[in-house]
Amino acid sequence: MKAEVRIRRLTAAMLSGMVLCLTVLFMITEKKDFSENENRYLAELPKVGLRQIQEGTYMDGLTDYVSDHFPFRDFWIGIKSKAEMLSGKKKINGIFLAEDGYLIEEYKKPENTERITETLKRFAQTVEAQERDNEIEMCLMLVPTAVTVYREKLPEHAAVNNQMETAADIYEGTGIRPIDCSGYLESGKGEGSLYYKTDHHWTTLGAYMGYRAFCGEMGFTPTALEDMEAQTVTEDFRGTLYSKAGDYGRKGDKIIIYENPADRLTVEYKDTEETTDSLYNLEYVDKKDKYSLFLNNLHPLTEITNDTAETDRELVLIKDSYANSMVPFLVRHYKKIYVFDTRYYKDGPSAFLAEHAGVTDVLLLYNMNTLDGDSGIRGVY
Amino acid sequence: MVFSSIPFLFFFLPACFLLYYAVPGASRAAHIWKNSILLFFSLLFYAWGEPVYLLLMLFATLVDYSSGRLMTRFGDTRKKRRFFLVCALTINLSMLAFFKYADFLIGTANALLGISVRPLGLGLPVGISFFTFQTMSYSMDLYRHKVPEEKNYLNYLTYVSMFPQLVAGPIVRYETVNGELHDRKIKKEEIQDGILRFMQGLFKKVLIANQIGALWEEIRLLETGQASVATAWLGAVAFTLQLYFDFSAYSDMAIGMGWMLGFHFPENFKYPLYAQSVTDFWHRWHISLSTWFKDYIYIPLGGNRAGVARHLRNMFIVWFLTGLWHGAAWNFVLWGLYYGVLLTLEKYVWGKALKTLPKIVRHLYALLIVVVGFVVFVFDDMAALGAYMKSMAGCAGNPWWGEEFLWYLGNYGLVLAVGTVLAFPVYPWVKERLAAWGEKARLTAGCIALAGYVALFLAATAFLVNDTYNPFLYFRF
Repeated sequence: MKAEVRIRRLTAAMLSGMVLCLTVLFMITEKKDFSENENRYLAELPKVGLRQIQEGTYMDGLTDYVSDHFPFRDFWIGIKSKAEMLSGKKKINGIFLAEDGYLIEEYKKPENTERITETLKRFAQTVEAQERDNEIEMCLMLVPTAVTVYREKLPEHAAVNNQMETAADIYEGTGIRPIDCSGYLESGKGEGSLYYKTDHHWTTLGAYMGYRAFCGEMGFTPTALEDMEAQTVTEDFRGTLYSKAGDYGRKGDKIIIYENPADRLTVEYKDTEETTDSLYNLEYVDKKDKYSLFLNNLHPLTEITNDTAETDRELVLIKDSYANSMVPFLVRHYKKIYVFDTRYYKDGPSAFLAEHAGVTDVLLLYNMNTLDGDSGIRGVY
Repeated sequence: MVFSSIPFLFFFLPACFLLYYAVPGASRAAHIWKNSILLFFSLLFYAWGEPVYLLLMLFATLVDYSSGRLMTRFGDTRKKRRFFLVCALTINLSMLAFFKYADFLIGTANALLGISVRPLGLGLPVGISFFTFQTMSYSMDLYRHKVPEEKNYLNYLTYVSMFPQLVAGPIVRYETVNGELHDRKIKKEEIQDGILRFMQGLFKKVLIANQIGALWEEIRLLETGQASVATAWLGAVAFTLQLYFDFSAYSDMAIGMGWMLGFHFPENFKYPLYAQSVTDFWHRWHISLSTWFKDYIYIPLGGNRAGVARHLRNMFIVWFLTGLWHGAAWNFVLWGLYYGVLLTLEKYVWGKALKTLPKIVRHLYALLIVVVGFVVFVFDDMAALGAYMKSMAGCAGNPWWGEEFLWYLGNYGLVLAVGTVLAFPVYPWVKERLAAWGEKARLTAGCIALAGYVALFLAATAFLVNDTYNPFLYFRF
């Protein structure tokens, strides 16, 4: 047999061999329930039944199942990202490969601006209509993300939608007093990283800039960073953007947390009825999802009391995860902060406000990138 | 089920072929076993995506099968034969009309008459345009005594439902596979070639069509005025390449799997973008469809042999229908008629002059027509089509080129370049050269090809896995 014929045969054999190998590996490898890398539960084997087959949900479920549990899933994602980078791509799965090692998530054209504006406006009106002894000071802070603040780091020719235009529309439409922290973030760029290189959140320094904007608006004197105790809790935080971009081999981020020695805190997680004296749960340092160390991840309602706060004011904070790293600065100024995650808190913060006469301030805080798809907005009423 | 998916590639395909090849010998019993396995997997394949519409396909095949049997049994006169043919065609066409065109007709009637009939909202049964055309070709060929009657329904069903060609062509005629359906040899070399052909198709689909498709998706979403003229054209070229690679990749995979099973389906694409005229393009693009329309509609109508007036009428009918076959919307009709007009013009007006032009000019002429044609093809909303055409012409207040054009070029330049090169007959050209070179060069090329196949397979698998890669940006729910 001619050598070239043999090579052709070998090629075909290798290809079919590789297919079969992966099939066999799929069958013998142990299935995981949860993907740390993707931070989600993987698909389970679907239920079989006549109806499921007739509607096709069984087949769809099976398709998801085999894809989710495909052997070496993360390895394949890495290959895919490498291949895309080799082909000259500067944006992978919606993540820009920006300068200085930054991964920056794109800002998709918002689709729900009107609905969000309407919901927040209605909430503000409901609260205003409530009979109470004191006036409530309500503010809205829409935080630009790295795609706006670090736009100069984006790859050449990259186009981005304007976040602050959308923010301006929402500020105007809701009529709620706006706190625009973008100026503080712009001027704080020289002081260090304001956003994580591998995660979609702002760093504690970024959150500090947001806090200063808040103080500026509310007339508080912000605590200087030097007066707080800083602690680097990890240098290996590989966040959501790291997973999404799939460009493994990048270095992790540092997470620095700040505590004010003057604070005497009681933190009560209402759902689990846990009480601690810290705003941080450092158990998350050893997990993939390290940002969850701020305020112990997810809770419908968290009540934070500071016995040594500088005022007797009480704040209701309705927010997304960006606020979690800002709370450690805010506690100085409030005797009590009620933190709501309205994706899980189902009774509506306005009803809570009606029952809590002590509340003086309400802050709504969201970042511009996830606001559009935030399912918690529905819970703001 | 789609070929370029993990369930198909890693489960369906191995299971089907392992069982298929496990049947020993070449006896009659072995043949029946092989056909049964093929039939079982084909029905599973269809039911996977369309569990309910499977019944529809069974019904369609039953109609043509029975009409064929009746035609042979009782069709002693031409008139009687015609009766059975007309019955079969009527049922097939009504089915197609109902499931594919009902809402289109309702929408058009609503718009024209100012009435408001509610659309039916039926999902389009996958592959209905393909399998009805197949079954009809059998009935018409039988009527013309071009093929023998198929006596065994299961064989007939196997022919129509055969999974490699069921949902996206080529439109295989009974005439082509009749012999192999009843007796076929599976040669080792053909299995190998089939594997490689399938893999080529897979690479074309996953690594080129899908990637270039992502570029087109980005460009089509730009608002009018946001896309510079250069970007609008880049988008049109991207869609052209996407469609070609997508569609021809499916045919490659179908033909490859056909070889692996012992069947020989017709080639469906012969480098259509390398055409030198519009006429030439239609000899190279979706060949099994254009020959179907030619053999079963154009020629029976008299073709071009009955005077210019009849020819023009025939062209109009055929190209109206060709357009409509591609989808239930007016832009497809427009697209078909666009080709009808251009083909007529080539025949009667500038065809001769065209031949005297330099080759490169002819290629550019055909390419331009094809690319503009696909823009008509892709927008089923006439307003969006108009807006996009304006962007391409620079009449949308858009600049000639812009920042976004450079961005797309940087991000997609390589895959566009590879796609463009492969859309032209470079591969056969290299193969020909290799044959002329010595043994050693061919050996080296074989080794490079092996490494290439393995690398591309890894890349294709990675892209398939990534399709469902979905890290939660937020917290877990």
